Amino acid sequence: MNSGEVVNNNIKYRIEFSKTDRMVYIGHLDLMKLFHRTFKKADIPIGYSWGFNPHQLTIFAVPLALGVSSVGEVLDIQLTEKMDCDEIKDRLNQSLPDGISVLQVIELEFSAKSCASAVSYADYCVTLDDKYQDIQNVVNEIMVAKEINIERTVKKKTKTVNIRPLIKSIAVDNEGGKTEIYTNIATGSQGNLKIDVLLEYIYEKLGAEFRFEKTDILRCTLYTDNKGELLPLCLEEEFM
Amino acid sequence: MLKEILLQVEKPARYIGNEINMVKKNPDDVDIRIAFCFPDVYEVGMSHLGLQILYYFFNRRVDTYCERCFAPWYDMEEKMRENNIPLFALETGDALNKFDFVAFTLQYEMSYTNIINMLNLAGIPVWSAERGEDDPIVIAGGPCAYNPEPLADMIDVFYIGEGEVSYDEFLDLYRDMKKAGCTKAEFLEKCLKIEGIYVPKFYDVKYKENGEIESFTPNHPDAPKTIKKVIVKDMDTAFYPDKQLVPLIETVHDRVTLEVFRGCIRGCRFCQAGYVYRPVREKSCDKLLGLADSLLKNSGHEEISLTSLSTGDYRSFSELANGLIDRYAKDSVSISLPSLRIDAFSLDLMEKVQAVRKSGLTFAPEAGTQRLRDVINKGITEEEILNGCALAFSGGWTRVKLYFMVGLPTETDEDLLGIVKLSNAIVEKFFEIPKEERKGRPISVTVSSACFVPKPFTPFQWTAQSTVEEFMRKQKFVKTSMTRKQVKYNYHEPELSSLEGVLARGDRRVGKVLYRAWELGAKFDSWNELFKYDVWMQAFKDTGISKEFYANRERSYDEILPWDHISIGVSKEFFIKEMERAKAETVTPNCRKQCSGCGAAQFGGGVCFE
Repeated sequence: MNSGEVVNNNIKYRIEFSKTDRMVYIGHLDLMKLFHRTFKKADIPIGYSWGFNPHQLTIFAVPLALGVSSVGEVLDIQLTEKMDCDEIKDRLNQSLPDGISVLQVIELEFSAKSCASAVSYADYCVTLDDKYQDIQNVVNEIMVAKEINIERTVKKKTKTVNIRPLIKSIAVDNEGGKTEIYTNIATGSQGNLKIDVLLEYIYEKLGAEFRFEKTDILRCTLYTDNKGELLPLCLEEEFM
Repeated sequence: MLKEILLQVEKPARYIGNEINMVKKNPDDVDIRIAFCFPDVYEVGMSHLGLQILYYFFNRRVDTYCERCFAPWYDMEEKMRENNIPLFALETGDALNKFDFVAFTLQYEMSYTNIINMLNLAGIPVWSAERGEDDPIVIAGGPCAYNPEPLADMIDVFYIGEGEVSYDEFLDLYRDMKKAGCTKAEFLEKCLKIEGIYVPKFYDVKYKENGEIESFTPNHPDAPKTIKKVIVKDMDTAFYPDKQLVPLIETVHDRVTLEVFRGCIRGCRFCQAGYVYRPVREKSCDKLLGLADSLLKNSGHEEISLTSLSTGDYRSFSELANGLIDRYAKDSVSISLPSLRIDAFSLDLMEKVQAVRKSGLTFAPEAGTQRLRDVINKGITEEEILNGCALAFSGGWTRVKLYFMVGLPTETDEDLLGIVKLSNAIVEKFFEIPKEERKGRPISVTVSSACFVPKPFTPFQWTAQSTVEEFMRKQKFVKTSMTRKQVKYNYHEPELSSLEGVLARGDRRVGKVLYRAWELGAKFDSWNELFKYDVWMQAFKDTGISKEFYANRERSYDEILPWDHISIGVSKEFFIKEMERAKAETVTPNCRKQCSGCGAAQFGGGVCFE
């Protein structure tokens, strides 16, 4: 079993994992719980916080909505002792259920920002429910617009939000049987655009109804903004 | 299609399986496929220990793949029916009608309409007589199977007793006969020779004009006249899994469950579990500590719970509890100890296991006066309760929960007033503590009263249940008699208990009411918000079956009871003796103090030979 020792030294690792297939049906809190159990089951020397109710020292970059797949989720952990990155990866993958796989583990610098504060953009690949001939026009309109104001209701208060600055890029692939779009949008505490909000807007412009359950959404990569340059949060050691 | 549906229902993870420690097999590689069905929603079923044990028990056989299925919540059911999706098992997603066996666990009577609903959703005919060679064999077991009769026309085979004992023989026979090209009908005849197996179609029931049973007789030469329950003799050598399925979503109990012993020495006269699981059989402390270790390791759970009918009666209790605390307290594993009697020792233990939070204390006096507690053989005195509370109050506990029943045999208004008096006495006990030691915390006493349901295989199996109106009057009487503002009174709706009373002691004819109630829309009856009493009343009306005949009628000792062909090893003579002792307000000592000769010694193990 893990010991509940409190960590004084800063041994941090960053984990990139996928959440696909049947696992898209569990929400963020359940995912956190699953990882907490998996660290125990896999005998990873995870650190615990001080306090009356000690909790594991884990930080998830940004929640993923239920129903959305991902091949680029990120989680930071603190351990009580050093471990080989591949060893962490292998042990976790042995314990995790099908549909969640650790893709890579990297050791973090002592001073590294946590993934939750570093994350700023995300790539999505979305397959729409049908083929829409108009899609390129709609996307072009979005990209040339200076402002896109939409009404958002949060806690019974309606306010107008300009989502245009939160959209970095949108590309379209209309070659197949269904329309696919690739988009890079603001994600994180500095600015956040929910993918379904963007899709709802696109569908409105297409004159069609957005049905979440008929749309395939895949989050691909989470990025951090490094002085204007987007770098993957979990930078692969060997870039091919 | 399934994906679209799952994204439109509440908690889709209920329907996907894929949990930690789920067993994966290729269905083509096995001879026998079992769908273990829990007739309630996923979160309830997954917290059930029997499922965890039998799942791994069946799956340890290389020739068998046991999968799970739960009652889909009504939102999911609606979508499934709309889209013609048959009920499926979680592991492979295959429809239930492909399986060799569809096996239901009967944990409470008010889940029966869900059984009908699940069969129907699976496209399997509900009545056994309407099922053919292409349909699965439908089995049922669990505590409610001790009176199988209300479901006798829907279930092909009842398994009477503990699963670890006869299922291997049962499945071996099935596999061999299947390979030999035998029919299911032939198998149902052959399995009659296996201990603990009851096949209802091989028995005929005749009724008298007054509605009582005239005769109950086997119609097949191999069908035993009485079916004796089968139980594990030695708990240390019996199968117990070293891992648990760990759900992906929050369930009722997310923790490792350590079964300490089966049975109960106490002999409370209202308690069916206390009799049907006799005799008490313990696991050794070493065995339990070993199991705790592997279960925690293999699950990643952060809580472990000791389970049994009365954990404080475990002979090595302090050794076990302290052993667990020593090993796991430092590992952020919390230990939960339900079913404890409150004394200095247990309070000290609770202090250790819940270092921070002081949750409420719970007592179950069940009846308000000593007289009535003697009638029901609940061996707890007012003094014990008050002393326990005093100890707890000085230890910093301030919330007390009390459980009672109303409608107990011989109960008078004075007994009901006793509920009020006892609650008040507890409040007064608190105020005996000097004010400065109370640290400003207020006392709260929550009193809950359930409606008594007479159950088969208890000394009260012959008694009349209170009517709904009587229950209401009694609860109102208690409520209006409450005098202290620190005492909060909760009570159960009597309608549900009244129906439970019918199903618990029902015979084969009650199956018609069940079916009709389901047709009219009854399901998830144990869920308050979904329970439809009027539908049930309509079902009684439509079938011409009298609710009062089953619930509110006192039976005579010589009446043939619907469950008389089942033997739990405790004799009818013993129950009659106990009923008479109840009327005489005489307490019967617990099994460890003195053997009362109930008959359970015939199993050759457990407390009878300690």
